[in-house]
Formats: sequence, structure tokens, C-alpha cells
Amino acid sequence: MTNDAIDFEQELSADVGPVTKAIVICAGILFVVCCLGLYGFANELNVPATVTAGNGLSVPASGSGEATLYLAGPGTAIKRKVQLGGNVQLTGDDLQNAGRYVIALDGNTASFYVTAAPVHAIAFLARPSRVPADTPNVVTGTAFLFDRYQNLVLEPQPVKFELEVNGQTVTRTETSKDGVAYTKLDSSKKEGTAQFVASSGSASVRRVVQEVASDPCNIRMTAQRDPRGILVRTDPIRDCAGNPVPDGTIVTFTSTDSRGKNTVDARIKRGIAQAQLPASNDATISVASGVVVGNEIKWRNE
Amino acid sequence: MTIFGRIALAMALAALALLAPSQKMDSVLAATAPSVSLNVAQAGPRQVEETTQQAVARDYAAAWQAMAEALDQNRADLLAANFIGTADEKLTAGIAEQRKAGLHQHIVDKGHSVDAVFYSPEGSAMELHDSARLELQVLDGTKVIHSENATVRYVALLTAAENSWKVRMIEAVPQF
Repeated sequence: MTNDAIDFEQELSADVGPVTKAIVICAGILFVVCCLGLYGFANELNVPATVTAGNGLSVPASGSGEATLYLAGPGTAIKRKVQLGGNVQLTGDDLQNAGRYVIALDGNTASFYVTAAPVHAIAFLARPSRVPADTPNVVTGTAFLFDRYQNLVLEPQPVKFELEVNGQTVTRTETSKDGVAYTKLDSSKKEGTAQFVASSGSASVRRVVQEVASDPCNIRMTAQRDPRGILVRTDPIRDCAGNPVPDGTIVTFTSTDSRGKNTVDARIKRGIAQAQLPASNDATISVASGVVVGNEIKWRNE
Repeated sequence: MTIFGRIALAMALAALALLAPSQKMDSVLAATAPSVSLNVAQAGPRQVEETTQQAVARDYAAAWQAMAEALDQNRADLLAANFIGTADEKLTAGIAEQRKAGLHQHIVDKGHSVDAVFYSPEGSAMELHDSARLELQVLDGTKVIHSENATVRYVALLTAAENSWKVRMIEAVPQF
């Protein structure tokens, strides 16, 4: 290095202040970042941000010769040789599952999302399978919306819920959110087998909900002497909408006299309940089912 | 040091600073379940009980651990305890294709910020929105084909099984 050059460099170093140094360092960092950014840009493939499930995709592949294509996504892993200089085709079969995909070709990589196709199927949860009639908000339905590839359809969709029993239909339409729609419906006045249907687009699913009588509205019994004691029997037991309370429902008869208390549980059979109570000369007989208490009889053995 | 020497040093330091995170992340790899922070404040229509919240967070973390190991080792048998239905079928199919192509995926899981957005009225299904912080690698044998650090958003459907919650569907989405 000549003396002139050394002098110039020393002079330059001496003249450069802290601000100038900082600017130069920043410029250096910016240069590196820009280089890395350009490197990153060069490594990107030209793919759309989203693709609908089942649709194919054409990816421009510049260059010449042969290269290896990689595709990794949900339920998919592809490695195959492709020819550069044209478009690389990904078929609908390659892109059926919704989710995030990574594509790599000739050292370039990119990612994109596959989103669900239109609604094709519904997973329908209807609860409970047996409900009391004439009860508000007792039937719940939850519908999960899926496309033909079993992807959850996240775009909002109208979902119609219908509950039909004995010709009476209750309908409610909800809009799905994040692939799910749900509703709560009243059970109908009359008991029976209800058809609970959820539908969206061309998809429809049916469930059966058995609507049965709710608690008895009132219980009326009669008593009569028989050779083994006192025979007590109810009239047909119905709920407040007039539906017969289901056979098998427990009815409790209680007799109280000077000797103490006797209790007999009986099941409703063909709409009525009956039981045999011990003979007594002076008893008070009562009847109940669940929280409902029926009439009371003062028994005198004359 | 000359001005050019300083520029070169600054460039080197900048390059090191940009490369340092990926070197650090390699050491994060661990065989334990990832951290899952589950927020249930927005869940409905059913309120999430505290024990359910704990169980879902535990089982979802276990599912991610199982999925990461299954995709890395190409072993679908690791999925059965945590996945069911569509999720199990799709992951199993993907692993079969990976094995056939000689590929595998390596996931360094740096945690999940999860919101429960739906809990079915009868308590049998829950939908989650998960922002997962991941380091993802796709490998052909030992050759890294793709590597990135990303926050990926997932929608997951979980259903109550006998004594645990299982992932029935999991999809990455561009946005919630």
C-alpha cells in the first residue's frame, strides 16, 4: 500500500464521526437483510394462499431438466420427479384434506392452505333420546358440518333443525359458526316418536327422539276390601297434557294406622297402578308418584 | 480497525443474529408433552367445568406429543391413544404415504395458546382454536427439504372417550 493510500485511510478514519459510523453499520445490516430477503423471495414458489379441497393446482416450475417435487400436508406425502420448464400439476386427489401444505421443488419452498369444499355430510348429536312431553328447551341438537372429504366446513352455513311429532313440527334455522350449529327445542304437547332432522344444503340427517308423558298431573285412587286386605287402584294416570304416564313408572301407596305405616311400591301397568295393603280397621291411605301426591282415603272397616 | 473491517464485522454480527434463533431452537427438542394454555371463557353453550378443562389441556398436549412422534418416526401405532375417527384416519394415511416416499416430519413444539370455542350441551364434544408455535421440518431421509418457524392456527374437535378426550378432527386454517 502506498503512503498516499495509508494517509487517505488514516484521514478517513479520523474524519468519520460516531454518527457516520452508525449509519455505515446500519447500512451494512440493511444490506445483509436485503440479501437474505432476496434469497427468501427467490426460494418462493408461486402458489395461491388457499385452494378448495378436491380442486387441482397448477404450479409454474421455471428452469429446465428434471427436479424432485415434494408435497407434505394432512394425510398426504408426495415425492416425485417432475419436468421443469412448464407447470407442475397437483390433482384434486392430492389436495383432498383441509389444512396446511408445504410444497418444495428444486430448492424452492412454499406453503398454502386447503379449505373445505361445500357441505356434504352432517354429524348430528341429538339428546336426549327420551324426553318428557310439553317441556321447554329439553331437546338439544348439535350439527357438525363436513364436506365430501370429511373436512369441517368452517364458513358459516344455514342449518335447519326440525322436530316433528304427530304432525306437529317445530322448525328453527341456525347459522353455523366454526363448523358447528346447535339448537334447543321444546318437546311437543303430545307424546310420541319425534323425528328430529338437521339439514344444510343437500345434506340431511334424521334422529328419533321418544317423547313420553311427563310427570302425572294428578292421581286419583279408590280402595276396596278384598279377602287379603285392602285393594287400592288408581284411575288411568295422565300428565297435564293428557298423555298416559308410561307403564313402569313407580307409584307408591302408603297406609297408616295405629300399628304403624305400610308402604307398597307398584308400577303402572296398562295405564293404572294397583297394590294390596294389609287389612286395617282404621287407616289413612295415600298415593304418590315422584313429586305428585294423589288423593287420600280414610278407611273404616265397618 | 478500518471502516471496511467494521462493515464486514457488522455484517457478520447481523448474519449471526439472524441465524442464532434456529440454532437455539434445535436444543429445545424434548420428548415431553408441549405446554398447552387452555382458555375456556368463550366456550358455550355448556360451561366447561374445571376438571374438564384440566383433562382437555392434558389430553390435547398428549395428542400433540403423540402426533409429533408419529410423524417423525412414521409410526401410526402411536396415535391410537389420542386420536379417533377422521383425525386418526388422515394421520395414519399421511404416515403411510410418508413411509412410502421416504419422508418424515420433525416438529419442535414450543407451545399452544388454545381457546375452547364450543362445548356441546350434552358435554360430549368440544371445539378448540389453537395457535401453535412450531418449528417445522420436512425431511427426505436426513436431508432437510423445508424448515420454518411458524405460528400455525388449528381448529380441533375433541370428543369424550371412556376416560380421556380424543382428537376427532384437526385442521390447520389460515385464520380463525
